Amino acid sequence: MSQILEQIATGIIKGDLQGVPQLVQKALDEGLDAQQIVQNGLIVGMGEVGKRFKVGEMFIPEVLLSAKTMHSGQELLRPLLAESGAAHYGKILMGTVKGDLHDIGKNLVGMMCEGAGFDVIDLGFDLEPEVFIEGIKTHQPDIVGMSALLTTTMRAMGHTIKAMEEAGLRDKVKVMVGGAPVDADFADRIGADGYGHNAVSGADTAKKLLGTG
Amino acid sequence: MRTNYRINSGVRFEMLSRDQLEEMYNGVLHVLDHIGLDVHHDEARDILKNAGARVDGIRVRIPRHLMKKALSTAPRSFTIYSRDNNPKHDIHIGPGRAHFGPGPTPPNFIDIETLERRPFVKDDARIVATVCDALENIDFCESLGTISDVHPDLAASYEFATMFPCTSKPIVAWSYAWDDSADIHKIAVAEAGGQEAFEKRPNYVHYCEPLSPLVSTFEAVDKVIFAARHGVPVIFTTCALAGGTAPVTPAGIIIQTTAESFMGLMLAQTIRPGLPFFMGGVLSVMDMSAMILTYGAPELSLMMAGATELAHYCGIPLWQTGGCTDSKCLDEQASLEGSISVFFSALTGGDLCHDVGYTESGMTGSILQTVMMNDAIGFSRRITRGIEVNEDTLAVDVIHDVGPDGHYLYQQHTMRHFKTEFWYPKLCDRHNFEEWEAEGKKPMRDRVVERTREIVNTHKPAPVKPETEKVIKQVMAAAEDRVKNK
Repeated sequence: MSQILEQIATGIIKGDLQGVPQLVQKALDEGLDAQQIVQNGLIVGMGEVGKRFKVGEMFIPEVLLSAKTMHSGQELLRPLLAESGAAHYGKILMGTVKGDLHDIGKNLVGMMCEGAGFDVIDLGFDLEPEVFIEGIKTHQPDIVGMSALLTTTMRAMGHTIKAMEEAGLRDKVKVMVGGAPVDADFADRIGADGYGHNAVSGADTAKKLLGTG
Repeated sequence: MRTNYRINSGVRFEMLSRDQLEEMYNGVLHVLDHIGLDVHHDEARDILKNAGARVDGIRVRIPRHLMKKALSTAPRSFTIYSRDNNPKHDIHIGPGRAHFGPGPTPPNFIDIETLERRPFVKDDARIVATVCDALENIDFCESLGTISDVHPDLAASYEFATMFPCTSKPIVAWSYAWDDSADIHKIAVAEAGGQEAFEKRPNYVHYCEPLSPLVSTFEAVDKVIFAARHGVPVIFTTCALAGGTAPVTPAGIIIQTTAESFMGLMLAQTIRPGLPFFMGGVLSVMDMSAMILTYGAPELSLMMAGATELAHYCGIPLWQTGGCTDSKCLDEQASLEGSISVFFSALTGGDLCHDVGYTESGMTGSILQTVMMNDAIGFSRRITRGIEVNEDTLAVDVIHDVGPDGHYLYQQHTMRHFKTEFWYPKLCDRHNFEEWEAEGKKPMRDRVVERTREIVNTHKPAPVKPETEKVIKQVMAAAEDRVKNK
């Protein structure tokens, strides 16, 4: 393994937001290809972050910084990856459902998913089902993620899934849901494909849904 | 005749100095004056604007002098009345008085028969109200759940309609919107004997929850307007996560949540000067590993103590938090977290301490936890009541009478005082080993479950008036009609 890839992985773990893009550029200048940098640098670092989080050695603010760092490195490589036709990690459209202004949980999931390599389109909060429908049509995501914090608004996730069915879009996307009052049973009942109990498990769920995790 | 003799009859607890509190108060006024809050309610913004607030889009900023005026009309001391004129069930809000009760709206409940976690149902509201009515250290009632087996829009209406006849202790009611607030109010007013009688003797409190950071949601504000127009004492409380939706530092989260609460106070006092108002905040930390709002954290008690002192400095009562836990069952963790927070809350004299019976980080209500905490509250109250010092309690005469090598069991002094000086637990076991063994070697949790079931099976709360029963039926029939096509 080249030294620069190790440095990139370490930079991800440390959350070195300034240093990692520079290292990625340096790696490109040294002639490494984009795919190699992602697989053997960025993803190796993020994998270690996930492990450390699970055993309680890293905490959410640190994990989020690592995810942001990963994302900044990836941005640099994106055009090159697209050129080479390399693996596409998937696009996630997400938002907090109608009646709910809470969006910190959804934002955390979004950041984690970006850190995991996904393209994330955040529609915002208090979203009518129609906004999700329009979003699906416009962005053609692989996954739609919905969030609600309130027991009163979690019902709107079911309504939104229904609206997707009526619009004939339900088969085109995987649906994942989350938020404090949501559990796996509820996700099943409303016909979602996946459920994450927190931001990290949300990103894992997304990977599983697309068969990449 | 005595001069300069100072009496401290209770345990004193004080954390922040007046200088620190003034600095925090100044921080709150700064947030309101310079940063402002987003208020998602057209009419509320108009009301605030007419009162002198600066409105820019949905952002509302309150000048300092205006906030101070609103604080000056909000009372520090008042009474929330029992619905049946039972003075023992009245709640006198005022300095040095801590009251306790459960909390609102977790989705799950611990079934008192199976002891399993399941969705909260309507009958659980009856169980919780009945048990709260019977527990000597629980002063007000909330349901510990969101009713899942009725039309979702009517969960709050059914909850109040179910609890009201099962306890004469004041209920802290929550609701979704204007309509169900009106359902609740009609029932309470029927029992009080009309709106005017209700305003003289309010028998419930309304709970409104805006959003951190710095957002007054439509629903929360709408309910404050309802409460203010109908003379209902009101709580305006955010539920903030330090490090997530609020600053990570205790002083920072206290300032932010106080500003959030003061927006509700400003609105309430503008509509009805003098309306009893409780400053909120459930203040705790976002656990940076588990990503939950922690209900068993020492920081919760600490932050709530700071918020209590700031509220009292500002001359208003506080909606306290305690008796709650992150544990999933009735175990040592539940007892440890619940008891320490209850004790700390009692020390602060925070005015209405809620969430007694919250488990699993607020996801599951457990009346078993409430019953266990009833003992913890009794324990705490005995300590906070303190030591009385006077000629009688000094007992020099009695010590003289008994003398060396005597005993105090025959003394009138002992007879007069032992029932009030000593606290007797309901559930903590003090038997000797053989007696405990003969009773089946029960751990605390078994005794908690037994007492809970016994109360549910035997306790008879004071009934509501027959006309109130009729009103409850009418109100709920009309409510069902309202949602039948929704």
